[in-house]
Amino acid sequence: MSAFRQRSSVSYLLALPAALWMIAGLIVPTLFIVWVSFWATRRFSLESPLGLMHYIKFYNTPVYQKLVIDTVLQTGLLMGITLVLGYCMAYFIVGKVRGEGRKILLILLLIIPFWTSALIRTIAWIPFLGVNGVINQSLIFLGLIDEPIGVFLYSRTGITMAQVSFYTLMATGPVVYVMRNIPPSLQQAAQCLKASPTRVFWRITVPLTIPGVLIGQMLVFLNVMADFATASAIGGNKFTYLGNLVLNLYESGQLSFASVIAVVLMLTMFAGVALLLRVVDIRRLGAL
Amino acid sequence: MHWKTRQKMMKLLLGGVTFGFLAYQWFPMVIMAVLSFTDPEGGVTFPMRGVSLHWYREFWADSFIDDFKPPMYRSLMLAVMCSVTTATLALAAVQAMRSRFFGSNFFFYLILLGIMAPGILVGLGMAFVARILGIPLAWYTTTFAVHMVWTLPFGMLLLMAAFNRFDHKLEEAALTLGASRWTTFWRITFPLVLPGVIGAALFGFTLSYDEFARSLFATGSEQTLPLIVFAQVDRQLEPTLYALGTTTTVISLLMIGFFALLFHIVRRRSRSDVAITT
Amino acid sequence: MTTPVESHRYDLELKGITKRFDDFVAVKNLSLSVERGQFVCLLGPSGCGKTTTLRVIAGLEEPEQGEVWIGGVRVDDMPPWERDFAMMFQDFALFPHMTVRKQIGFGLEMMKRPKAEIQRRVDETLATFEISEMGDRKPDTLSGGEKQRVALARALITQPGILLLDEPIGSLDFSLRESVMLELKDVQRRLGITFIWVTHDQNEAFSLGDTVVVMNHAQIEQSGPPETIAERPRTRFVADFIQGNNVFEGTVAAIEGGHARIQTASGIFAVPVDPSQAPAPGAAVTFSIRADILTSQPTDGHVNRLTATCRAVEYLGAIRRYDLVLEDGRSVKLEQFRSTGTRINEGEKVTLGWRVEDGVLHTPPAGAPA
Repeated sequence: MSAFRQRSSVSYLLALPAALWMIAGLIVPTLFIVWVSFWATRRFSLESPLGLMHYIKFYNTPVYQKLVIDTVLQTGLLMGITLVLGYCMAYFIVGKVRGEGRKILLILLLIIPFWTSALIRTIAWIPFLGVNGVINQSLIFLGLIDEPIGVFLYSRTGITMAQVSFYTLMATGPVVYVMRNIPPSLQQAAQCLKASPTRVFWRITVPLTIPGVLIGQMLVFLNVMADFATASAIGGNKFTYLGNLVLNLYESGQLSFASVIAVVLMLTMFAGVALLLRVVDIRRLGAL
Repeated sequence: MHWKTRQKMMKLLLGGVTFGFLAYQWFPMVIMAVLSFTDPEGGVTFPMRGVSLHWYREFWADSFIDDFKPPMYRSLMLAVMCSVTTATLALAAVQAMRSRFFGSNFFFYLILLGIMAPGILVGLGMAFVARILGIPLAWYTTTFAVHMVWTLPFGMLLLMAAFNRFDHKLEEAALTLGASRWTTFWRITFPLVLPGVIGAALFGFTLSYDEFARSLFATGSEQTLPLIVFAQVDRQLEPTLYALGTTTTVISLLMIGFFALLFHIVRRRSRSDVAITT
Repeated sequence: MTTPVESHRYDLELKGITKRFDDFVAVKNLSLSVERGQFVCLLGPSGCGKTTTLRVIAGLEEPEQGEVWIGGVRVDDMPPWERDFAMMFQDFALFPHMTVRKQIGFGLEMMKRPKAEIQRRVDETLATFEISEMGDRKPDTLSGGEKQRVALARALITQPGILLLDEPIGSLDFSLRESVMLELKDVQRRLGITFIWVTHDQNEAFSLGDTVVVMNHAQIEQSGPPETIAERPRTRFVADFIQGNNVFEGTVAAIEGGHARIQTASGIFAVPVDPSQAPAPGAAVTFSIRADILTSQPTDGHVNRLTATCRAVEYLGAIRRYDLVLEDGRSVKLEQFRSTGTRINEGEKVTLGWRVEDGVLHTPPAGAPA
């Protein structure tokens, strides 16, 4: 390490603002959600007795539990699609495109939408998906269908299509980053040891990019689990996930129950992250 | 099949996937931009009727969503606040972590948590905090607080990458030449990590400018631009929204361009500085 | 036409290889034949095309023109994984996610050998290279020298026809290089495998190679045994590149029997020429004379003479190296065994001399005006 170190006291001073901000803006609000979720009244009042009233309601309502499963399934679907799409693109950009300039251009084309409004991007999908939308018109033009079909807007298909376009970047980015750091000599050395490209891919490239895949999948998981805007704008509130339920409950003033759903969402996300870290041996992360 | 043919086909296939996805990703935004220029009679989808600036005039006039200009002003102000604060706090945080103080690992994960926490929950929690502690919700207080929770971790990660990239011997050299730690930081360290600082500022700006999930419960009556857009989608979709969407997307792209230019200038200058010092 | 029989004489043959990277010509019409069991060193400055040549042999680069034959088989159209060779990379290219054992067995695994055989041969190889105790370690826990052994073991376990080595000891500590060089030479002699060793270090090339191939600007300047390269540099580039040569520029004044009289800024000197290829009088030429052949105590045979002043003395073990200045300001190097000759002091004026047959006239570079 560098000899340039300030004394600990200086470090604490420098770290303090950021730490306080995160505590005030993230930790305290989260604790408040947990606290409110145990308020055993319908009113929002500090005098509320503590109890499991709203948790019991959640436990006794299968509709809400199905919502948890729906959310997890939708997230799993997105993880599967973005994994394959994202890996293919990363492999193409890093391994097949020649010239640093072209690689950077492709990477920029991929990430620039991340810096624009997700909400506007969602709205942009609507003219595509409607009964008279671009997709239906194209399909009719190609002669694949005779009548417009309604499977796109206000449907899970439409939501999934839009989500794929938003979240694939998160699966690709970390893989691109990790793959670019693999020295080309490793793949060449494997070729010189009589490994065909298929075997180089599975024995060298894939194992070495697992940290990137893992980080990417974690980002997709966290974002899709908490996504409610896509379902709200494209699904027309017909299809909801846990995030939409929190929003609906908040708007109808059921704050404690909204908190219970929020806690359930949080716990599901914790469980998912823990599972992801378990599936892939975390010690291998140190390989690169 | 010959091995070269097979490799070429593989490349073609992967290229097809990549370019296909890029088209898939960009097409809706392009179509939205095109449709925003439709005639007064035109609807929210194809076929497009004629070309006009009607919907731009419509949304510029006060009639649309009770005037979008104050929300846009708030969003821009908030973005600037987040941009400056993110760059500053992230720089301090990363400089602090270089000495691996007791609890620095914990500190790192505390900040990283901001990326992982779902936006709607952060907003919900902030709404509770404000309500219980009697703080009024406002875009420049509560919304600012939760936006920073989202932008700060990005700034920190970018700056960590920037700090890892330069040669730490340059700092040692400055110290042995008798420079104080304060001077060394501002004369040597800061110019070298400036590209990272600019990157952190860019993330601070664009992520806050477009942020919506975190703002939803935390903002109160003086709403930001994404919030009024979301409300309007719920109510009614009309080409005015496309005009607005196209306008804010262009603003985002201009900001990216501006930061990219800044980044380019700074990096070029710091490179020539390093060339002189080494 | 090349008949297969003819090709079998050589373990490796390159015929007219040309490789471009966009506008840059990395290898230009290069031909090379290597007999089985030879130790060949490709020597040259960076960017001369030696590594590209090695990668063309491996199939990692595809040449625009020319043929590559390995072990009597034409391989231009084969991918690397079907060619009969092994390669050691400069950074060793060990797979970071595999244990040493897995790493060494990788080649056999790719050749679809039975598990039991892989096990046995990996054990043998680990023992041969004295790395048995590292079998379960990952590369990031190995030292530079250990990595080098693992890389060599991994390359040789497949019993390749030839081994390509790209600066294989360039990344090792200086103190390790000597012993590793001796070991590699020993391995090569024992196994009788053809080694193609790329280096920019002439000491490496001269102490290891049976044949040294000096490259510059995408072409071979000279190829031959180390002694020939050192004592009879064919071109001016080789004379400059190899340490210990004094190079003179001049014009041919006259051709007299077996030698040319060459006019230089420092005087007229006699240099032997091949009468059949003698340059025309008036032609610009260069020649060189080795620093260890010059003498400061010339006798009658030393017809070429120079007067010079000693500027600096270096002690190199058994040798003293003098840096001397001629009257026209040019510098000349002189090397003498400490046991022979008397010491020259700084500032002292001496007469240097050499015999006609000691000078080496250079072939002008291709394309240069005669």
